[in-house]
Amino acid sequence: MRSSPTCSRSEPHPARRLGLAGAAWLALVPLPAAAQMGNPGFMAPDTRSDAKGMPATDQTNPDDVLFVTLVGAGGLAEVELAALARDKAASAAVKAFAERMAREHGAANDKLAAAAKDAGLAVPDAPDAEHATLRDTLKGMDAAAFDLAYMRAQLVDHQKTAQLLAWEIDSGQNAGLQRFAAATLPAVLDHLAVARGIVEALSLADVAGEPPPQPRP
Amino acid sequence: MTSALRTSLLALGTASLASLVLAADPLPPDLTYRPLPTQPLSKARAMDEAQKPAVMARQRAMLEARYDLADRPMPGVAMSGGRKAVQAGVRVRLPEGQTWDGLAALAPTDIRDRDLLPAGFMPLPHVKQTAGGQVFPNVQIEAIARLEGRDLRRFDVDHDLPDTLTPEFPPPIFLTTHPELGDVSRGQLLSIGNFYEIMNGLITPVQMEGLRLLLTPFPQEEFNQTEDRKVALPSTGVACLDCHSNFSTNAAFHLTPDVRPQAERFRLDTVSLRGMFNQQIHGSKRSLRSVEDFSEFEQHTAYFNGDQVSAARKGPHLPDRTNQVAMMAQMQNIIDFPPAPKLDPFGRLDPALASEAELKGEAVFLGKGRCATCHVPETSFMDQQMHDLKLERFYKVGQTVNDFVAIPDGPIKTFTLRGIKDTPPYLHDGRLMTLADTVEFFNLVLGTHLDQEEKDALVAYMLAL
Repeated sequence: MRSSPTCSRSEPHPARRLGLAGAAWLALVPLPAAAQMGNPGFMAPDTRSDAKGMPATDQTNPDDVLFVTLVGAGGLAEVELAALARDKAASAAVKAFAERMAREHGAANDKLAAAAKDAGLAVPDAPDAEHATLRDTLKGMDAAAFDLAYMRAQLVDHQKTAQLLAWEIDSGQNAGLQRFAAATLPAVLDHLAVARGIVEALSLADVAGEPPPQPRP
Repeated sequence: MTSALRTSLLALGTASLASLVLAADPLPPDLTYRPLPTQPLSKARAMDEAQKPAVMARQRAMLEARYDLADRPMPGVAMSGGRKAVQAGVRVRLPEGQTWDGLAALAPTDIRDRDLLPAGFMPLPHVKQTAGGQVFPNVQIEAIARLEGRDLRRFDVDHDLPDTLTPEFPPPIFLTTHPELGDVSRGQLLSIGNFYEIMNGLITPVQMEGLRLLLTPFPQEEFNQTEDRKVALPSTGVACLDCHSNFSTNAAFHLTPDVRPQAERFRLDTVSLRGMFNQQIHGSKRSLRSVEDFSEFEQHTAYFNGDQVSAARKGPHLPDRTNQVAMMAQMQNIIDFPPAPKLDPFGRLDPALASEAELKGEAVFLGKGRCATCHVPETSFMDQQMHDLKLERFYKVGQTVNDFVAIPDGPIKTFTLRGIKDTPPYLHDGRLMTLADTVEFFNLVLGTHLDQEEKDALVAYMLAL
């Protein structure tokens, strides 16, 4: 993340000229040009800053540490649960969603790990207790019941992840982690939008005996 | 997990998942609550002051990229007090190679996927999202320093819009109780030092006491006596009319108190209080049902970001509902719109007085433009509802600009259009600089496909309101 060029929204994004559309846009959302400036009143007294009052972009604050812990564990769980869903899901839409989660959260986990390493932090190596419990519960479920339980859990997880990413953008201090958060948030919100659609269709099928949903074209 | 527990979880099915969610760790507390300060004021202030040029340069660059900020007054058109010209033309910049008609012909998803929504139509970031808080224009800061010796200047940020794109100052004051007098402001800004002399003989004792309270400074998040402030000296705070100058607006802005986390709180442009007597819902998001409710609680919301915990530390003002709040409300309820001599008692143009362009504009407003669906002429161009324009059909949500994360606006209160030429910038966050900008914005968002003549007529019509 740190080495990738950034641009402000006002400048035409290179991708705009390429005319890319559809799912590809997630990779193209412009990133903030620099780390946020922060509210100095809430910074740690040992915060290093330059002559222009800008906090050094390579330091971390407690929120950065907590962010890496929480989002790192959530990201691991995403990939683990997606693998489970690829095996167990009955609906084609849920299988496709799980494929996408495995692919995109896998890539995001790598980026988070790289940004964390640059910041001198380590990402967790296992999902947290909450997700471990969820995984064990889902393992005991099958077919439509699994699909609905997995997707409902995905909905909540993506809601929480979106809040954590927005939190890091304002409350964190490390520029690499903040760029990761800003770059990842639109994708997580898009996952959430897709998950909401699938949950709605699955819930309808559950209560009204409708056919299960198909993957989004 | 034990096998017995697993079995019981299975038996409970999805209900068990709900209980697992409840048992999860909450998100970190500063997603909702304001953290306590960690640095001495002197250190925070030194960093803030050092950062200020970069903060302002970044904001200016964002504004310049989004808007044409030039001083281009409309010939012969002034705001109601005659002190400032109304600015002309569309100021939102188009993406390269696009035209307004070309954009209006595209489907919202095309505009979103090709990143073609003009950036000036996007939610407008606060000058410093991470700090937020009230930011006053220089004219207000200078006037209050002169009239009261009170300091409204922040050491971390300045106001970000050019003077030409903000309301006239001080705004005129029109009273429902004295239409025959016209503007009663005497060209002055109401302050705690001069209100009695200006208003004695014009208003009742009850209204006078309400006015005194509306002009009395009380502690606020950035203006208070603690180390958690953004003003150099310990401050007695701010007054209601520091933003709502003379019961209108000076384009002071803030962050909405109604959204968390901080990064997602949208900018709030100060709304005029003119016509309060006909307004039934209050707050762009809160939909409070009386101006009494709003006046009573505003010192926990706008003043303290909707955080009563922070307020408790800095000195909240808890006005007495029966006496003080009622008087504050009664004062606000006698503030009239500026005169609109071309409107009849139903809010419709008098054909004998209106120009051809204004009449054409009214026809578009009522018909093809669909403006009157919400801005109902008969009820002061409001409908007492909140509506969701669903602008996110046109852009990718979750983009970060200057530390501000643009999520969908959701439902927002319908604002009156009476006296609208007096109160730029427009929309709840002030993202639109001119009336012509509002026409292009709604033409795109509502898909009304107006031609240039119809757009020009709408602007002419709104100037007559």
